Amino acid sequence: MLGRLERRYDVVVVGGGPAGLGAALGAKEAGAESVLVLDREPEPGGILLQCIHSGFGLHYYKEELTGPEYAERFLTRVMEHDLDVVPDSYVSGVAIDSDGSKRVRVMHERQGLHTVECRSVVLAMGCRERTRGALRIPGTRPSGIFTAGLAQKFVNMMGYLPGRRVAILGSGDIGLIMARRLTLEGCEVMGVFEIMPYSNGLTRNVVQCLDDFGIPLHLSTTVVAIHGRDRVEKVTVAPVDRSLRVDMSRAWDVPCDTLLLSIGLIPENELSQGLGIMLDTITSGPRVSSTMETSMPGLFACGNVLHVHDLVDFVTRESLLAGRFAGEWARDIRRPRDNIRLAPGENVRYCVPHTLSPEREHTIYLRCKEPVKPCILRVGDLTEKKLRFVVPAEMIMMTLKPDALERFHGDTLRVDIVPSKSAGGDPGDEK
Amino acid sequence: MTERREFVCIGCPIGCPLQLTHEGTTIVEVEGHECGRGAKYARQEFVDPRRALSTTVAIRGARWIRLPVKVSRPVPKEKVLEVARLIHQLRVEAPVSVGQVLLRDLLGEPGVEVVATRSMPRLD
Amino acid sequence: MYDVAIVGGGVTGCSVARALSRYHLRTVLLEKQVEVGFGTTKTNSGIIHAGHQTPAGTLKGELEVRGNQMFDDLARELNFGFRRIGELVVALTESDLPVLEDLKRLGESRAVPGLEIWGREKLRREEPNLSTALVGALFAPTAGVINPYEFAFALVENAMENGLELKVDSPVLRIDTEAHGLTIHTPHERIQARFVVNAAGVWADRIASLVGLNDYAIHPRKGEEYMLDKRLKGLVKRLVFPVPQKTTKGTLIIPTFDGTLMVGPTAQDVDDRDDFATTHAGSDEVFGFVKKLCPSITERDCITEFAGLRAVSSTNDFIIGPTSVRGFINAAGMQSPGLTAAPAIAECVLDILGREGLELTSREDFVAHVAGPPRFALLSTEDQRRRIQGNPQFARIVCRCELVTEAEIHDAIDHGARTLDGIKFRSRAGMGRCQGGFCTSRCMDILARRLNLPIEKVTKRGGDSWVVRPMGDTAPREEGM
Repeated sequence: MLGRLERRYDVVVVGGGPAGLGAALGAKEAGAESVLVLDREPEPGGILLQCIHSGFGLHYYKEELTGPEYAERFLTRVMEHDLDVVPDSYVSGVAIDSDGSKRVRVMHERQGLHTVECRSVVLAMGCRERTRGALRIPGTRPSGIFTAGLAQKFVNMMGYLPGRRVAILGSGDIGLIMARRLTLEGCEVMGVFEIMPYSNGLTRNVVQCLDDFGIPLHLSTTVVAIHGRDRVEKVTVAPVDRSLRVDMSRAWDVPCDTLLLSIGLIPENELSQGLGIMLDTITSGPRVSSTMETSMPGLFACGNVLHVHDLVDFVTRESLLAGRFAGEWARDIRRPRDNIRLAPGENVRYCVPHTLSPEREHTIYLRCKEPVKPCILRVGDLTEKKLRFVVPAEMIMMTLKPDALERFHGDTLRVDIVPSKSAGGDPGDEK
Repeated sequence: MTERREFVCIGCPIGCPLQLTHEGTTIVEVEGHECGRGAKYARQEFVDPRRALSTTVAIRGARWIRLPVKVSRPVPKEKVLEVARLIHQLRVEAPVSVGQVLLRDLLGEPGVEVVATRSMPRLD
Repeated sequence: MYDVAIVGGGVTGCSVARALSRYHLRTVLLEKQVEVGFGTTKTNSGIIHAGHQTPAGTLKGELEVRGNQMFDDLARELNFGFRRIGELVVALTESDLPVLEDLKRLGESRAVPGLEIWGREKLRREEPNLSTALVGALFAPTAGVINPYEFAFALVENAMENGLELKVDSPVLRIDTEAHGLTIHTPHERIQARFVVNAAGVWADRIASLVGLNDYAIHPRKGEEYMLDKRLKGLVKRLVFPVPQKTTKGTLIIPTFDGTLMVGPTAQDVDDRDDFATTHAGSDEVFGFVKKLCPSITERDCITEFAGLRAVSSTNDFIIGPTSVRGFINAAGMQSPGLTAAPAIAECVLDILGREGLELTSREDFVAHVAGPPRFALLSTEDQRRRIQGNPQFARIVCRCELVTEAEIHDAIDHGARTLDGIKFRSRAGMGRCQGGFCTSRCMDILARRLNLPIEKVTKRGGDSWVVRPMGDTAPREEGM
């Protein structure tokens, strides 16, 4: 179909979503001769295939596309190259030999247990969703509790609805998008409940997914119990205070037969953990150098497995880079070691990559802890960028040029986001 | 008689709260925006609020039983559910190519089409 | 006309069924849910107790030690997982130490082997991750762990291989007593049997009252359990108990057979026999206490939680015996150590049936062995290759977290799984970190195909536990859903 499963490759990419496909393209463009992409679904494209709404490609293609459109366009470009993309395959492990070569163990229906030898590996396994257990919502265990992504897969790909009357916990974009999606399919969305005092998703989505349909958004509210013997019958919700403590005296019941959980994504790092790769406890993904290389030489990471993204355009950019360096590695091209550590400072939750080197341009990705407007993003005292508004839900990207880095003589570069006064001494500061 | 409508701008993450003052259908003033996008959005929302729409339709003969589609131009906001119901009546046969037009002149508006957002080969 | 009808497909009923299947008898097992083990059994902690914690002079204490001894042979024959990981009753303070001595004496009087008191140093050496504040422990090497539902499935599978008829979805509505036996009414049929064994767990008193017996009551006692992330595997090697309380053995650390840790259970008397809700109070109690045993365990490692009901009888002991109704035998009140005692309970019931007039002629063609589900994840690479060569469905992964293959899903269905939970308990698909996020749609697909059902009729565990509904079904449900 899309390729064979041979015995030896220069680069093996684990995961055929946008990150994996980007890495494959990057590797080919860097001159890798043989590249293999493995994906456990029946076709590549990853999560994009079920994200049927638009909002993808504004940066990369300068066009607003739906997820499937982005996936198809990108896959077509990737397939112009000579490489193997093998779906329906599962990577059960990666081993590293003493000479540095890698062995990837694959399970594939036709070829059974198959081991692929390669020079470099790119980890692009994406992420999984947090489940009820992560919140320990008490109550019964009826059917009708879904993570939002699983519900999305049922609706958009398998053609089934998760239920009739739906409550949604978590106002991140996926929860908001599903509120609209289910409404369009005739379900009744009882409300979206969000434990924080602000929605975690884009304002655009709150307006177009909730306000447009009269779906209430209950901030500072969470689900405190699930009821129902065989199937969900109702959930109890209650307000929380600023310390996120529940006020049970004001709890109320929401009748529903379905509860969707949109409570967070976690990079899928079982494979990485098995290899003993160093992980960043904040991102839950591997620590990487500026070549997107993990602590294991020749093992690279990109996409949601590295840190959870919100824009596929950034994933593509990041993964092209990872693929490029993985491709170079396979051709025995080695970059000088990074000698600058990047440290998250004020109001910065994390930065990726974790280290830099002054010899080339870098793109760093970061997230803030708290919303601030307007503000300044400072990288040491080398450079800064004015930003109108930052929110934790929107990843910030910044380019660092070599001439800026060359001026740096320390070993740790701190990245800070600090509030700035509004421009021009405007008396309307309290706005 | 002046009346006021309120919107939240969706142009960027700030989400400026906008106030649009009007007399009947004549816009008097738009306030609250921190950039030009806000003013433009408020006007559009007042005059002719539109929304993009994507959904899926039933497809036979492909790997999946649903084909993702979108409407090529935004549709009137109050017609969104009606348009969705219309689109859901479509029955498509594989193969389908990305961009293929499945329904033309939706709601009688020329140029407003339902198009496939991915290809689905025939898998018999 | 059956010789014996067993009411209740939990571990008690399944053990009795298997014991009876050694003989030339017509036996039927009636289970009210869609699969066996779907009641208390599947929520059981899975502990095979050593026998030193049950008070002297009780039937449950007597059968416990005997039951424990029978598990090695049973596990070998029936191929379910069983491991004697050992148990520690730990002393949190100096005043607990004499209690440990008492337990040791009690155990020794019951011939519980190998009991040893450990001092602080030995405890720290053997279980370095337990709290350093613990002053000592009583070690019982013969305690073990199983997956209780695996045990029940293996028992009933073997019994069926040897002639047992299994009827699921068969709640008992009425029982008529006649001259030659009893007639049981389920929603589908009437079943006549010479003997009825009441192994109905939480509902045993109701079943007994159907024949006019009201000499005991079942008072359900709810227990909440919390499963922890696989990442904590190996943190604690043995079962860890605090010094026992009056109504409960306390909050425990249980390394399950598969190695994942579980903490709990709570003990709360409830009136509602359908109360399976976990609670904030329960989780606070469990995690608050467990911290004292093992400081590395916190709520953040919890991946799922559940609750079950213990069938505590008004006598606070097992109720096993004939009754004033001829042919009606009780095997009720199985609170802890009901699981441990199950094989001995079955022996006991067999004995009673014999004395009550049931002829026990051994089957020469009795098949003692059950192959057990193929656990691909635990096989060596060589064995995995062989399996794949024999059946390519072993190369298709369905559950990524637990590495369960499509062949195992089919095997689960071949052996009785009719629901997502049935597949989960037989194959482990859905038990891992992502809690079914990846495998649910695949399992539903396979179930739908095999059982010839539309996907909207696939359930989580029978009854009204439908999972999805078809698109285009916009008719609102009636009120009072």
